[in-house]
Amino acid sequence: MIPQQHQKLQVMSHAVVGFPSLDENEKAIAGLVEAGVNLIELQVPFSDPVADGHTLVNACYDALKMGGSVKATLELAAKVTKAHPQASFILMSYLNPLYRYGLEKLFEDAAAAGIKAMIIPDMPVEQIEPWLPKLDALGIAPILMVTPNISDERVAKIAANARGFIYVVSRMGVTGKQTQWGEEFENYVARIRTHTDLPLAIGFGVRAAEDLKALTGTAEIAAFCSKYIEWQRDQGSDKAAEKMHQLLQDSGLAG
Amino acid sequence: MIRSDQGYFGEFGGRYVPEILLPALQELETMFNQLRDDPSFWQEYLSLCQEFSGRPTPLTPLRRLSKELGGAQIWLKREDLNHSGAHKVNNVLGQGLLVQRMGKKRVIAETGAGQHGLATAIMAARLGLQATIYMGADDIERQYSNVFWMRQLGAEVVGVETGARTLKEALDEALRDWAATVETTHYVLGTACGPAPFPELVTYFQSVISQEMKQQALEKIGRLPDEVVACVGGGSNAMGAFANFLEDDAVKLIGVEAGGRSFLPGEHSVRLLPDTGEDGIAQGYKTLFLQDDDGQLGDTHSIAAGLDYVGVSPILSHLSQTGRVIADSANDQEVVDAFKLLMKTEGIIPALESSHALAGGFKRAKQMSPDQHMVINLSGRGDKDIFNIAHAFPQPEWTEFLQREAARAQELENASKGEKS
Ligand SMILES: Cc1ncc(COP(=O)(O)O)c(C=O)c1O
Repeated sequence: MIPQQHQKLQVMSHAVVGFPSLDENEKAIAGLVEAGVNLIELQVPFSDPVADGHTLVNACYDALKMGGSVKATLELAAKVTKAHPQASFILMSYLNPLYRYGLEKLFEDAAAAGIKAMIIPDMPVEQIEPWLPKLDALGIAPILMVTPNISDERVAKIAANARGFIYVVSRMGVTGKQTQWGEEFENYVARIRTHTDLPLAIGFGVRAAEDLKALTGTAEIAAFCSKYIEWQRDQGSDKAAEKMHQLLQDSGLAG
Repeated sequence: MIRSDQGYFGEFGGRYVPEILLPALQELETMFNQLRDDPSFWQEYLSLCQEFSGRPTPLTPLRRLSKELGGAQIWLKREDLNHSGAHKVNNVLGQGLLVQRMGKKRVIAETGAGQHGLATAIMAARLGLQATIYMGADDIERQYSNVFWMRQLGAEVVGVETGARTLKEALDEALRDWAATVETTHYVLGTACGPAPFPELVTYFQSVISQEMKQQALEKIGRLPDEVVACVGGGSNAMGAFANFLEDDAVKLIGVEAGGRSFLPGEHSVRLLPDTGEDGIAQGYKTLFLQDDDGQLGDTHSIAAGLDYVGVSPILSHLSQTGRVIADSANDQEVVDAFKLLMKTEGIIPALESSHALAGGFKRAKQMSPDQHMVINLSGRGDKDIFNIAHAFPQPEWTEFLQREAARAQELENASKGEKS
């Protein structure tokens, strides 16, 4: 269910497990799927999320107080993957909580809970490599990131190890700020394409219908995460789902 | 001298960072590997320390205090006499030379006690760089005098409001800034922690401490000391004091962590003793962290802001596991007692961080004999702690002074407003 190359742009959105509460996570995810979002990241909250901007940092901080954890994430995953078979769920976590859980057991339990892919921002490709046979056997795609300052040599290495899709960090920095799309960005995406046939997901700075329109035809997936969490934080999950529905309409991606 | 095996020390170390930071770490590592085997670079570094920071720092015998304790002869390595008042400046000057070679114009740093931030602000001013310093909002309150100086020196000080608002959060925030600015900015990491090559790089510059210590001991004692003691926050002054003794098996190396109020979670910053830190991977590296079963990093406490950190140098994790470094701790009360004792007996005002080494060292020295010698690394001076000390020993005289001072400041401000309007 992870899209093929050159399919229509899919929106990927986000849940921080425990934010605003574990109960509301389920409701919010149902709302997202209803709105037409078929790719959802389940973020294990972490005390020190160094690749995230303030929206997600604060959501993690709150989520931990509400019982967010690796275990809670796996439990939520088991429920939502069953309730929404049309959607693909991606576990997103910093390494330490997974490492403490035990990576091998984590991968097995995540697969059993129906997780299709995994994003671990502080686990470089060198660390993923030894796990690839295991992940392949379990049917979990490790999603690796490329960044604007990356060397060709490293893109090649990442492309060789990536599965599912490649996460293209749209700009230098952490999550949650606007990106400028333009020629430079197009060249960057084109450079990545020369190394891989996998679909590309664009993340970091996708915040409005204009961004989704700009990415249509360029990428297969747009990660619409921090902005969605801001809606959820400020207006609650129901309203956030409505806004997501509207967003897909406005950007011509609905239906 | 210590060398990593591709960034690892035993099982600890490594480089676990978001992809975006890797090119800068690789660039730094390449440069470091070139320079560290170039004797002319070490000479350049030493000259900078000598002409700017007052090196070499002396080795001071504590004659009265040693007699009073009745054990080993105690010596202090006087890192407090460095420009800026702590060992932190050694590392910062070294990284300043690297920044010049990399042609970057901006530096960022994280700081707990403010000593590293202050040292970075001083280095930036001296070398004509722009500096941004991240500091936990709570630490800003605890160490305001350093914040004041950093700003006067032209650095931007950013208070970090997330989480527990201390050093751990300041480090996260500095990494976030770096992710956005890595092409123009160097991250001056303040201790022997973080992703490779920082633990090794910071140790390399701080090893100037033990290089001098060794030579001075041979001159003054006629042989190597029996024990070398240092406090352990992130571990940079300890690694600096230990580095040149690692192969001298007869020299015992003791690292003293902050025992805080108690050994309950959140009440201390002890990571190297059994049942405290556990192995984890966060903030870019693998080491012993204070954390819960879910891998969330824990809260810490120390009377000394500079020891209030949740991780520890991967080099020290490794050396304490292999038994080469002996881990110990001192609690807040023992620290205050040692602080007072040094002041009254020897006329030296130590930093609260360094007073942990004093407390741990004095305890051990008492068990030793007068023909034995111990060197304690006095990592910094206590001026910055004047407010904390005043809190620890409340005195009406001090409180009244602060009130008069606040009134005077207010008057001056009103007068200047009056002139403007
Ligand atoms: C005076 C002093 N000593 C010790 C430390 C602890 O750091 P480290 O363990 O890296 O030497 C600090 C940190 O700010 C400090 O200011």
